[in-house]
Amino acid sequence: MMVMTTDAPGPDGTVVAMTETTMQAAGNAATTRGSAVEVRGLRVAYGEFEAVRGIDLTVRTGEVFALLGTNGAGKTTTLEVIEGFGRRTGGDVSVLGLDPATHRNELSRRMGVQLQEGGFIDELTVGETLQLWQKLSDRTDRVERLLDRFELTRRRDVPASKLSGGEKRRLDLALAVWGSPELVILDEPTTGLDPESRTRTWDAIQELQEAGRTVLLTTHYLEEAEALADRVAIMHEGRVAVQGTLAEILATRPAGFSATLPAAAIPSGPTDLPQLVGEPSAQARGEAVHVTVRTAELQADLTTFLTWAAERGVPLTDLRAAPASLAEIYHSVREGALSAATTSEVTR
Amino acid sequence: MTTATFAPTSPAQKYVALAGAELRLVMRNRTMAVSTLLVPVALGVFWAFSFGGGPEVWPMVVALQAAVTLGMGLYLTATQTVVARRHTRVLTRMRTSGISDPGLLAATLTPAMAIALIQIVIFAVIDAVMGVAVPVNPLALVAMLLGGAALMVTAALATSVFTPSPERAQITTLPLVFVMLGGAIAMAVIPTEGWVQALLLVPGAAVGTLVRLAFGGEIGMGAVTGTIVATLALVVWAGVFARVAMQRFRWDPRNG
Repeated sequence: MMVMTTDAPGPDGTVVAMTETTMQAAGNAATTRGSAVEVRGLRVAYGEFEAVRGIDLTVRTGEVFALLGTNGAGKTTTLEVIEGFGRRTGGDVSVLGLDPATHRNELSRRMGVQLQEGGFIDELTVGETLQLWQKLSDRTDRVERLLDRFELTRRRDVPASKLSGGEKRRLDLALAVWGSPELVILDEPTTGLDPESRTRTWDAIQELQEAGRTVLLTTHYLEEAEALADRVAIMHEGRVAVQGTLAEILATRPAGFSATLPAAAIPSGPTDLPQLVGEPSAQARGEAVHVTVRTAELQADLTTFLTWAAERGVPLTDLRAAPASLAEIYHSVREGALSAATTSEVTR
Repeated sequence: MTTATFAPTSPAQKYVALAGAELRLVMRNRTMAVSTLLVPVALGVFWAFSFGGGPEVWPMVVALQAAVTLGMGLYLTATQTVVARRHTRVLTRMRTSGISDPGLLAATLTPAMAIALIQIVIFAVIDAVMGVAVPVNPLALVAMLLGGAALMVTAALATSVFTPSPERAQITTLPLVFVMLGGAIAMAVIPTEGWVQALLLVPGAAVGTLVRLAFGGEIGMGAVTGTIVATLALVVWAGVFARVAMQRFRWDPRNG
């Protein structure tokens, strides 16, 4: 095994170098404290192309962790390493206290995996697929329970090839949660599903969380991450751009308010506005101008702005105030607008 | 949430479960079942009548039967099966189940091995009916079957590395099938001395040598040595293909 070092704060605040051995020990300790997955400095290269470029991730026990990212960001590659199927070219990975590269069979007793697509023997019926799983899995469960839970009882005798897309995903999820494993990894569990099927899948994921299971999922749907995830990481071009709770991530981008007012109210542009903590910008719209203010002090700046408008009798239309959304953060990441400094602030 | 009602199964039980499911699928597939039975019956009868009944030609006929069974019944079917299961991500799925990688591969290859076994039995019955003599060196026949099966299974895994789809398997397997057919038939009929023995180095050609040793009437140390050398030729090639497979085998279509 390769030896790697990384810098980490010591007990007295000084930076100390950690070797792989100490990281393994730290990983084991973290597991007992509550980390289901620890990834440190993970790198995966295919020849000259580096798909994953030294990422750090922590998935805490009992939480739902969403891994977001653009196409080709490295999400699935990262999951494959965590599942024990992909080879890493650098870094350390600990899953439930074990290295997945060398302990995949042991982990299969404690970890369920839902693939992004396919994987069924087409000719086997739903019932036969679950019965086969019963014999292959080291986790124990009942076929009838899974059929009932995922509303597949009436489709029991239907071959997998004849199932609809939603039914296949439900069967897929049934295999992943077979025996209620400690860790469930779901690769885009709701991609291609209709809204009703998506809601059912969300319910199943929330059930897992209520049962104390850890869920690591990838998704393209921001609303899915917002609805389900305790913590989120956004990957872009092989790197983790941001990681943390939704509140932590949203706090990295200023909230904002906007309003439309007569152009005559600010003839010289934004400089005619009152002194604000945030940065105002203006966009002409015929006889009116649309003002947008990004600020870390939403309440104070909004109060100042409203007071200024009231004192001058300036009519405000289309007034909106809102915190930053995950969608804005995501798009910032895609556009490469999120700086490394921001990343390090959010990553815990 | 968990309801524990079934004890975890052993590795052997997992193999039996998956291999049993695969075999049931073969039996459900009528086209495959019929071709598995009818093709060797038709070929066996055709060859038996075409080549006459003289004892001097029987080694060639049996070598041809063995090469076709091993090359097409086993090698082609095994390659197609592995590639198809990889193509549809069944291998990836099954690796998440708890079955070991060797157990998964063995179970996936079991139908191909069963098909080859059935075809061998059919050929043997036809040959017996047509009056082929009992082999004087049955050990050579056993070595041919086991060594040939090992060669073909490892070759199938190695060939799957270069085969992107099940359909392509019909092309990527052709070179070895032809080489093996030619080599096996040649070794069954050519003289036992001289430079032509170098043909033993051709993958699968030793199948012909072993058939000739089984039926050719040679006994004693010469036959024993010949059997060992020919078996070694099969085993060495099986090792070469196994090494290629171990280094480059792909479980998932996405990564290759």
